[in-house]
Amino acid sequence: MLGIACTASLAAGAGGLMLEFGRLAHPAVVLDGLSVRLGGTGLPGAIRVGRLTAAGHVIDDLSFACPKLGISGGIVSCKDARLVIPGVIDDARVDLTVNPETRSGSITAQSAHWGRFEARLSPDGTAEVRLHELPIGALAKHFPVIGDFGPGGFFSGRLSYHRHESEQVIALEGAVAAGRFSSADGLQAAEHLQLSINLGARSSGPAWAWHTRMDWTAGEAYLHPLYFTAGPSLSARGRVESGRVFLEHAALTLEGVEALELSAEIDIETAQIARGVITVERGDLAQLGPRFITPVFAPAHAESIRFAGLFNFKALIAEGALEAFELSLEQAGFSLTDSALSFGPVSGVVPWRAAGETRVALQVDGGRWQKLELGPFALDALLDGPRFRAHEISIPILDGRLLLSDLDLGRQGTGWSGRGGVVIEPISMKVLTEAVGLPPMSGVLSASMPSLNVRPGEIALEGALVISVFDGYLQVTGLQVLEPFGSAPHLFGDIEARNLDLFQLTETFSFGSMTGFIDADVLGLELAHWTPVRFDAALRSSAGDYRRRISQRAVENIGALGGPGAALAIQRGFLSFFDSFGYRTIGLSCKLRGDVCVMGGIVVKPDEGAFTIVQGGGVPALNVIGYNRRVDWVELVDRIKRVVESNAAPVIE
Amino acid sequence: MKLMIMLRQVFVMVALALSAFAFAQGNLEINTPAISALQKSMQQRHAQLAPLYASGALGLTADGNVALRDASGVPMAQRGQVNALVAAENADRAALYREIARANGHPEWEAEVRNTFAQRWVERAQPGWWVQGAGGWTVR
Repeated sequence: MLGIACTASLAAGAGGLMLEFGRLAHPAVVLDGLSVRLGGTGLPGAIRVGRLTAAGHVIDDLSFACPKLGISGGIVSCKDARLVIPGVIDDARVDLTVNPETRSGSITAQSAHWGRFEARLSPDGTAEVRLHELPIGALAKHFPVIGDFGPGGFFSGRLSYHRHESEQVIALEGAVAAGRFSSADGLQAAEHLQLSINLGARSSGPAWAWHTRMDWTAGEAYLHPLYFTAGPSLSARGRVESGRVFLEHAALTLEGVEALELSAEIDIETAQIARGVITVERGDLAQLGPRFITPVFAPAHAESIRFAGLFNFKALIAEGALEAFELSLEQAGFSLTDSALSFGPVSGVVPWRAAGETRVALQVDGGRWQKLELGPFALDALLDGPRFRAHEISIPILDGRLLLSDLDLGRQGTGWSGRGGVVIEPISMKVLTEAVGLPPMSGVLSASMPSLNVRPGEIALEGALVISVFDGYLQVTGLQVLEPFGSAPHLFGDIEARNLDLFQLTETFSFGSMTGFIDADVLGLELAHWTPVRFDAALRSSAGDYRRRISQRAVENIGALGGPGAALAIQRGFLSFFDSFGYRTIGLSCKLRGDVCVMGGIVVKPDEGAFTIVQGGGVPALNVIGYNRRVDWVELVDRIKRVVESNAAPVIE
Repeated sequence: MKLMIMLRQVFVMVALALSAFAFAQGNLEINTPAISALQKSMQQRHAQLAPLYASGALGLTADGNVALRDASGVPMAQRGQVNALVAAENADRAALYREIARANGHPEWEAEVRNTFAQRWVERAQPGWWVQGAGGWTVR
């Protein structure tokens, strides 16, 4: 049957029969130095192999020693035999029964390192092997690929093989218990695994058709950067042919996914996916986002990103690389809790191809930034590899609109770069102030910033944001944001305010009552983590001829802003006789450096440390003078808040 | 108390690294509010990172980052969280290097700042911490 080529010598003596084969060769296995000693019934027997070569593997000094050989009725049997294969089996205890005529028999082997093994050969060509607690770690020495992962645990199961003419059938049914593995760095690892495995394969030629089902019933795994727990089940079918595994269809059950299916063509030698398709149907983003999206795409924000809604996903892989994908969203939602930014529900399709342009069409039905509600808008954009382009994105904000135009962004290295333009169509201050919880104001906010420049960690805007308020205007220019999503976001800008009506301003903020107009400049403004840390601010009476009166309460409040050292150039008793006073000019400045504000006024007397905030004029008139030029910024802000919120009279020294 | 000691350690490390950098580069203003904010963020995180450095789970890389070098000692369910910590720390470190370069008016110095810091972090690593050099990982 097997074209065996051998050379042999035979020796017989009183102790039995000795057969010595110089070489026993078969296309699949070569035995060198084979000797068989048969002692006859009831006597010891032994088989020795100097070298066994099979499938490129070499085993030296294989020995099988039978203490008591039985030969009866054409059946050879042996109990308590010892099998030694150096480096593979140290010492296995073997019971053996073989009927050479019918080519049937059974063998039972047990060793400390390999567990228990039972095999039965039937005359019809069927073979059945039962494995009891085969230590998976024992395989590691002989399979370097898995050996690097230090596998452990046990496998128990039944393997059957049947051959009928040219058809071969293999079936495996088994379970892994206490399974584990770990790469040297612990980034690919599993513990306490319990798996049940069913595998069937059939061949009637060079190709094998196969099917399998695996259920993961216990344990956990970390495949960097993803963490998995037991629950998933895999059923798959395919074939092995011409050096390739064809995964015709695989279905994976996973919590949070209605259906997850795969197909692939894998080159066995290179282990590369020559072609593959993965589809996910109705994935639950709330469940899958934190487990699979955040760890891969935004691990630094794992604690702050929230997901909602459903998605479908299909990806194509060619020659080991992602060739294309299509992501469709159904009422999906995304939010960043640490920056109070959210979008959703979002529906639509995001197609992408490694080579070529694709069109993104999303409908965003709302969102929020800080306290501002965003209205519904359509996102129509082009993707071209790592590049994102959008002609116009129009986002409703309150009763106005944010227009992003000619956006052209690209992902390079550590972040996004690109350019575009920003326009804010008028938002009424009445609505805006109500939305952000400020006292109601009239006027509008608008912006025209034609040049938006994005670099890694930086967004810069050229142009102006203008707020027309209190019958004057406030203009912000030179806006720049650094590390907007980092631990220390920075905002830079310059603010210019002109002709603000003091009456409206002081009424709005319950600051007493003043008439007149002021101009103000806040230059070199820098906010770190949205808190001012640096600016040169100055406000002063606007030029012009207009009525200038200041109420007693406003005088007291201004005096309070000068700090504990502030004093009025009049006595408390005198002040109480009048409701309001005339003034010539008002001036106050603050140069903030870190947490200290160096204050100044219309006139500063450095030798006295005094500065004039209000210069009186008319009848009755008064001056307000501050004496404490260095003020703690936090304290000053607290003082302003107290004045505004409670409208309580501050202490006047 | 232990936390305070750890916070002090990282503060001293950052301060020493900063001062060493300033010294090497000359008259550099490095104590900006952003740097303070980043330092604070890193100090707060250090309480979670310190035991991971000590156990060898994390190491200091040659490019001024932190890397998950041996996660086998970390409970499996927490390895993802450790990875998130590493990502957040590296984001802060990148921002710190960028911020120092910007604060000096030379954003193009970022790579030089990063290299300088990488050396300082490694030089000031505590005994038992793993650091990455030209020959790979070594324990101090």
